[in-house]
Amino acid sequence: MKNKVKRWTSVALASSAAAALVVGCGQTSNTGSGANGSASTSPSSTTMVNVAGVRIAKPTHLVNYKNASGTIVWAESFTTGPTASELVSAFEKKFPKIKVKLQVQPSNTDTNRADLTASISGGSPTPDVYMGDVIWPAQFAHNQLAAPLSDYLPTSFWTRFSNGLVAGATYDGKVYAAPLFADTAFLYYRKDLLAKYHLPVPKTWQQLQQEASYIVKHGGAKYGFVWQGADYEGLTCDFDEYLADAGGSVLTNGKATLDTPAAKQALSFMRGLITSGVTPQSVDTFQEPQSENVFTQGNAVFLRNWSYAWSDSQNPQSSKVVGKVGVAPLPTFAGHGSSGYSTVGGWDLYLNPHTKNLAAALQFIDWMTSPQAQEILAANSEMPTIKAVADSPSLAKYSPVFALLPKVKFVSRPSQTPNYPAVSKAIYDNVNAALAGSVSVAQALKDANQQIQQALSGSGSGGL
Amino acid sequence: MSKVMEGRPAFQTGGRRVSVVRHDARAGVGMLTPAGVVILAVTIFPIVYSVWMSFNNIQLTENGFQFTFNGIQNYVDVYSAPLFWHSVWFTVYYSIVTVAIELFLGLLIALAIQNVEKLKSVSVVVMLIPWSLITVISAEMWSYIYNGVYGVLNAILQGLGLIHSPINWTGEPVTAVIALMAADIWKTTPFVVIILLSGLQMIPKDYYEAARIDGANGWQTFWNVTFPQLRGSIAIAGLFRILQAFGIFDLPFVLTQGGPGSTTTSLAMLGEETLFTNLHFGLGAAVAVSTVILILGACLIFLSAFRGMVGEEAQ
Repeated sequence: MKNKVKRWTSVALASSAAAALVVGCGQTSNTGSGANGSASTSPSSTTMVNVAGVRIAKPTHLVNYKNASGTIVWAESFTTGPTASELVSAFEKKFPKIKVKLQVQPSNTDTNRADLTASISGGSPTPDVYMGDVIWPAQFAHNQLAAPLSDYLPTSFWTRFSNGLVAGATYDGKVYAAPLFADTAFLYYRKDLLAKYHLPVPKTWQQLQQEASYIVKHGGAKYGFVWQGADYEGLTCDFDEYLADAGGSVLTNGKATLDTPAAKQALSFMRGLITSGVTPQSVDTFQEPQSENVFTQGNAVFLRNWSYAWSDSQNPQSSKVVGKVGVAPLPTFAGHGSSGYSTVGGWDLYLNPHTKNLAAALQFIDWMTSPQAQEILAANSEMPTIKAVADSPSLAKYSPVFALLPKVKFVSRPSQTPNYPAVSKAIYDNVNAALAGSVSVAQALKDANQQIQQALSGSGSGGL
Repeated sequence: MSKVMEGRPAFQTGGRRVSVVRHDARAGVGMLTPAGVVILAVTIFPIVYSVWMSFNNIQLTENGFQFTFNGIQNYVDVYSAPLFWHSVWFTVYYSIVTVAIELFLGLLIALAIQNVEKLKSVSVVVMLIPWSLITVISAEMWSYIYNGVYGVLNAILQGLGLIHSPINWTGEPVTAVIALMAADIWKTTPFVVIILLSGLQMIPKDYYEAARIDGANGWQTFWNVTFPQLRGSIAIAGLFRILQAFGIFDLPFVLTQGGPGSTTTSLAMLGEETLFTNLHFGLGAAVAVSTVILILGACLIFLSAFRGMVGEEAQ
């Protein structure tokens, strides 16, 4: 009996091993669905055109989607709230021949990415259109998880977007995402405290530090300035802002340039906020919720956060500072202009390369970036991405945050490389270590530079 | 089936009897087949496929995965990355420390509950609460306890006068590891207690009688009667815990996100990051296979150290 069990077990293992090898070897010669409606990402040597300051390749398979019909699946990450269903109802009313099915995605961006990677890399034709983070285009394009929209849409399509947004969605001369709504950072301040101590809204970082220090010393608030310093993607966003304010950048001509005086000024200032007591040491464990909590509970004078913090701070159920909050563009370093840079955040629409409803999907993307849809987004406190709505003076009625939009200077994260997650990790790991005081500012920047170079070269151990 | 075999010499064949035996055996195998197929598909096949993946360079193309065989290159890349060895070191000493403390604490608690007269079932239920809470939720709760600005732990320690300024628990390398271990021990000690409790209840009462008659005091009773009988349960609890601890993922993922830096990045977290954040499938598979080899090695070491004791348990 025992021998029989042994024999059967070894047969089972051997057969499954054989099966695995057959399937694995079979992958190389696997042909995908090359049906008429599906997208193709074959490289082409077409000419490049300059569209709104970005060089993109001319479309190779222009699609006429005027009479598109069918059902498409839209993977959305709004999770809660009526925004997604409002958009779908409005769309279906305008285009009765197309039906849109909603697929709700996890709200955590990394979990969302894992879910999409699993289904699309497996060749699934749905979701046809999905929402993705603004930092995904290069990685997704490189791994064939998104189709090049610029191949199917006329070049005039890309002129509708606000400055700087299309560049972030471009990889290798093609555009892989349509900006859906933007998000950017602002300075939130306690206007009651500034009034009480007769201080103006700070225009430079040095001024902010002095004012915060003054107010804390006189007992106006427990902490001066809170922001996001935890060891995660959000820290890259914060750091990029100080870096751009100081006149530096993460990459220059494709090489890492963090060992510059500008980077040193930026990081030293961040560390200085902690050592001078203006910012609590625990800021190196703060993500958005923790920093926002400190501010909405009335314990900080200044907060750096994204646009949604405005509505959170005015919510009487969770905020103790309703009516006491003002919002302004972020400050910059003295001698570097009149206002500071804010990191571009937000979500884009991507096209599944295996979709079977290309025309309907393109019509959906076109409508979602049209004034009608963008007004619906604005009414739900999401920043529009098209100039027609973003630059309109009537936008201010939705939120004071929107009124500041024309004044905001955008800086993009260096997401043009498919190894962006490793590049970002090199930044936030080392910046966080410097904020914690474990390494000196100079050493942290040196290490970050080296790790970014490794990540860019895509070598095995560098991109582990 | 046993009715047929009982007392009959092995070589006696009566045509009908043998075919009944073989028929039963075939029927048994037939009934096991659906379950066997499921196990093959869900367990064995993915494992073998993952091992195969670790020997390939994997690219995502428009036609799905493209495998290019590259021998042990993935393993060379993984083993030459300092981050991998840091993960291994962290996972190993994290597992050893937490398992050792849990076994010790678990033993104390099990002995205490064993001797409780009234409210024994209530004690067991209350003691099981940490184990029953979903890890992700309790980890989130711990992150609020450990918060450096408004966390309860700092408030208590400062109120008692033990510290003067708030400690940045999850922001410093040393305290982050301690915080993580404390949260893990809080959660999984009940598991050890349950296993040890059942082991304690299997010790015959007459052993204690005999010890009392011989005039043994509390400590002597424990060391000479209880502990030897309990070694098997301790070995089993330790084995389970080592298996779990080496694969720890959800707790550091929620509580420290593997930080600060990569201080608390366990092997499982490293694998997930390589696979799903960096989309390096071949390297991720190599990390996963290396983790399995490490866990198997750890279990073998543990088992050989306790070999005799586990055997006693089976009697």
